[in-house]
Amino acid sequence: MRKPHTGGVRKAAPGRFVLGAAVIAVPLLLALLGPLCAGEPGPRTVSFTRGDGHWLGTDFVGRDVWQQVLHGGRPVVVTALAATALAYLVALPVGLAAALTHRRWLEELLMRPLDVLLAVPSLLLILLAATVFAPGATGLALLVALVNVPDAARLVRAAGTEAAARPAVEALRMQGETWWRIGVGYVGRSMLRTLAADAGTRLTGVLYLVATAAFLGVGVAPDAADWAVMVDRNRTGLFVQPWAVVVPALLIVALTTGTNLLFDAALAGGRGRGPARPATTGAVRTAPAASEVRT
Amino acid sequence: MSGLRSFVARRLILGAVQTAAVVLLVFALTEALPGDAAVALAGDQPDPARVAAIREAMHLDRPAHERLADWAAGLLHGDLGTSLASGRPVVRYLADGFGPTLLLAALTVALLVPAGFGLGVLAARREGGPVDRLISSVTLAVYAVPEFALGVLLVTVFALRLGWLPPTAVGYGTDLPGHPAVLVLPVLVLLARPVCSLVRLVRAGMIDALASPYVAQARRYGVSGARVRYTHALPGALAPAVQQLARTVDWLLCGVIVVEALYVIPGLGTVLLNAVAERDVPVVQGLAVVFGVLTVVLTLAADLVAHRLAPRAGVAA
Repeated sequence: MRKPHTGGVRKAAPGRFVLGAAVIAVPLLLALLGPLCAGEPGPRTVSFTRGDGHWLGTDFVGRDVWQQVLHGGRPVVVTALAATALAYLVALPVGLAAALTHRRWLEELLMRPLDVLLAVPSLLLILLAATVFAPGATGLALLVALVNVPDAARLVRAAGTEAAARPAVEALRMQGETWWRIGVGYVGRSMLRTLAADAGTRLTGVLYLVATAAFLGVGVAPDAADWAVMVDRNRTGLFVQPWAVVVPALLIVALTTGTNLLFDAALAGGRGRGPARPATTGAVRTAPAASEVRT
Repeated sequence: MSGLRSFVARRLILGAVQTAAVVLLVFALTEALPGDAAVALAGDQPDPARVAAIREAMHLDRPAHERLADWAAGLLHGDLGTSLASGRPVVRYLADGFGPTLLLAALTVALLVPAGFGLGVLAARREGGPVDRLISSVTLAVYAVPEFALGVLLVTVFALRLGWLPPTAVGYGTDLPGHPAVLVLPVLVLLARPVCSLVRLVRAGMIDALASPYVAQARRYGVSGARVRYTHALPGALAPAVQQLARTVDWLLCGVIVVEALYVIPGLGTVLLNAVAERDVPVVQGLAVVFGVLTVVLTLAADLVAHRLAPRAGVAA
């Protein structure tokens, strides 16, 4: 079996790559290694003080801000990564099945409900869920993943439909290859590049949503060590002790911006988000006549 | 034009289904509570009297489908129910918060379109130059930043360090138009993300259009540069941008909620967040339906406009 043709990968400009990596390095390292070198929490002192052995002062309940910063990155990053992975875990099989099936009703059944879900504003859905139950970090990851499934599934289907219409797939079918080898071995691999590009933008969006939900108090404890929660809770002391707000806010800016810059630079070669979204369902799948395919 | 008509019909049907789905989803998410809903809604220390009051107010003794039917029928008549917390009709809450939110949204959209198109065309004209590189990098970077982080940093710089602008709208009530300085930071923050995405799309579309044969032909005929740009190239670059404008509705909504919380503006977002915190289900439901239906309608309108501009650009419907 021939390897899928994914197009040449051009080298991105190293300057932009370095810039993205530099911007994301600080928040990412803090998020991953911070909890390891944070040490034992010190005793609580007066709220919103500066100096007095506290490098960045104290927060709204008198905890050391630097300690909170060290602990506060991991929940944001881990929740966002988990939500992105979960979204694809659902979107990949659904989108692939819709792209590969020849049964029109199955495709409609898989995709139409997602079109409808796409209409609900993402933050609204999360807030609605937060009204009736208090989601923890896991709940927040699940909600954010759910919000991202429709769009991801549509993209997977569009990319899969394009790959499934190639003569090579017809040839594989005629050779009697299994669904698994065609679907995953050929079509799946052909989509990798599009998916990588989408994963970058999606991770940026998920980071945005996770941080914003945490800022609004969804999925986090009111005094959690979380950069977004720190920004929210320490706002009352902004005029007394701005570091407790500015440092976590800057870290979130660096994290989201860096993610976007890095993925953009890494994918600068073959831009275009893969195949354009097909006009109407099924219109793209014009498989060539069997006689044209040489096996 | 039967193709156009069938497209419009299909898109309208999808919009209607989406509206119904929003109503159903809002109801299902907020009322399909595990266990005793009234106890769950009464909060951490369920007071028996309050539990009974909630059960009474929400008619929890009746089956869910009857409550859904009643609620949906009320929606059709503009009756959104009454608040659990205060007993006031939800419509009153909407009326109270509507002004500030509308003002914010209208200002943002009014600035978004000229800023987005202006910067996009400017970057496309100077493709590869320093101006283009600056605009492209800044839009790419700011595009991803959550509103609350950007907003808090702007407050620190402009209100705390420089003292140019008030940090929040506290003390101004709903009289925002009388104090334009209060609105500068919120509108800036609301604009940031949509402008970035719009600029990038307009830039990409303009670069494609300027390199196309029909623009080259227009140039050969001696049509002036500005006319080529604005009457020939720009319309071609418009369709994807209009669709992006529709998607910004979602962002604006998220943004409004965050910005109102951040700058303490008494709009619909604040009403929604307060209701979420108080678990005031009827108010949340009412606002969610209004927001959801608004999103559906605006997306629908933008899809139709985009289709009119470029019939080939398929809009999933």
